[in-house]
Amino acid sequence: MVVVMKERASDAEVEAVIAQLVEQGMDVHRSTGASRIVLGVVGGGKVDPRLIELLPGVHEVVRISQPYKLASRTFQAEDTIITIGDLRIGGDEVIVIAGPCSAESEAQVHATAAAVKRAGAKVLRGGAFKPRSSPYSFQGMGEAGLQLLREGSNAHDLKLVTEVMDANQIEVIGKYADIYQVGARNMQNFTLLRELGRTRKPILLKRGIAATMEEWLLSAEYILSGGNKDVILCERGIRTFETFTRNTLDLSAIPIVKELSHLPVFVDPSHGMGRRDKVAPMARAAVAAGADGLIIEVHNDPDHALSDGAQSMFPAQFDRLMAELRIIAPAIGRSICLEPVARRGWAR
Amino acid sequence: MAPELSLEQLREEIDKIDEVIVRLLDSRARCAYTVGRLKHELGRPIYEPAREAAVIAHVRQVNDALGGPLDGDAVARLYERIMDEARRIQRIEAERDAAKNEQPVTKNNI
Repeated sequence: MVVVMKERASDAEVEAVIAQLVEQGMDVHRSTGASRIVLGVVGGGKVDPRLIELLPGVHEVVRISQPYKLASRTFQAEDTIITIGDLRIGGDEVIVIAGPCSAESEAQVHATAAAVKRAGAKVLRGGAFKPRSSPYSFQGMGEAGLQLLREGSNAHDLKLVTEVMDANQIEVIGKYADIYQVGARNMQNFTLLRELGRTRKPILLKRGIAATMEEWLLSAEYILSGGNKDVILCERGIRTFETFTRNTLDLSAIPIVKELSHLPVFVDPSHGMGRRDKVAPMARAAVAAGADGLIIEVHNDPDHALSDGAQSMFPAQFDRLMAELRIIAPAIGRSICLEPVARRGWAR
Repeated sequence: MAPELSLEQLREEIDKIDEVIVRLLDSRARCAYTVGRLKHELGRPIYEPAREAAVIAHVRQVNDALGGPLDGDAVARLYERIMDEARRIQRIEAERDAAKNEQPVTKNNI
């Protein structure tokens, strides 16, 4: 960090700051300028910049290093690649996760899973525990829903991601899902993050609607510091003054976070936009901006969905979107769904 | 210095001077290292602002007497760098010592 002293800081004030830094094991490089003194501070000691800023004569403390370590590019230069069976997340292939907001019935799960598989998705999404804004709305099917989602993904050779809302759900969800999702509302539920750090399944960590990129990476750090190295970051829209869409999908997070961190970055255009007619353009933009994957809500019959129908795509719309993404991805050296798909007669 | 010297000759001259400077810096660092050990035994802190101020005042005085192109502030800035490094040598030594005694580095044993 760099400590900038006030213009009229006395020698005694400067000396007190240096003494405190040296005492805490830091190396101090004192530069005396024409009007003020700047202290360059390096070393392995632990110094709280806010405490230094409170010392008399200090004008400003500028932090140079990031507060997160394991999540940073400095700690690991090469991209993290997460492997689940034959699936590689974070490599050249853009991975698409798709499925309904929540599991509603066997027929719905199977029809949707079949449709997203046919279009080229690799992972099925779906919720079983759904605490909604109103306690009288559909609350999800619970473990029965997890069972349906697992059967649906097995039947169509898809991996499964589902949201974990509370530490007491980790065990039961772990029996069914391949990836735990942490929702935007839980991004700073540090107790939950800590517990997930002890698991060994990948975590899809959504960005909170009012979280800065740094706070988001610090949440990832909670999981990483517990020993779970497989964290996927997912941008899903942040709160801004714009009210036309539910949230503003912050696509700038993709190149920024990919520079700051080695973790894969996904984008959820469904929750970011809140309406299905705006999902495809943002999904295309996300892939063009370098996202490692997408998570998209698709329902076999959105008009009769029990939750999030308005933002769920029809299977035909999703199919068309995937075809467009297959054209966009190669332009930036990526690919989407290299596997032959059953519909084209290349079935395994 | 004679102005008729060529650029190459001047650069050779600078290289020779640098050799002397580095040898002197080495001698100074060895001294600072021993000072660090003594401070440690006497329980004195690594950072002694009064001593640093005295060093700067001294080299300013020496420099003023020479009347060359380096002004006093320039010499003070160069010496700030040199003393930064001396402090670093003393910190590393203090930490090594503390590790040997298996005591955490604290205000009292630094």
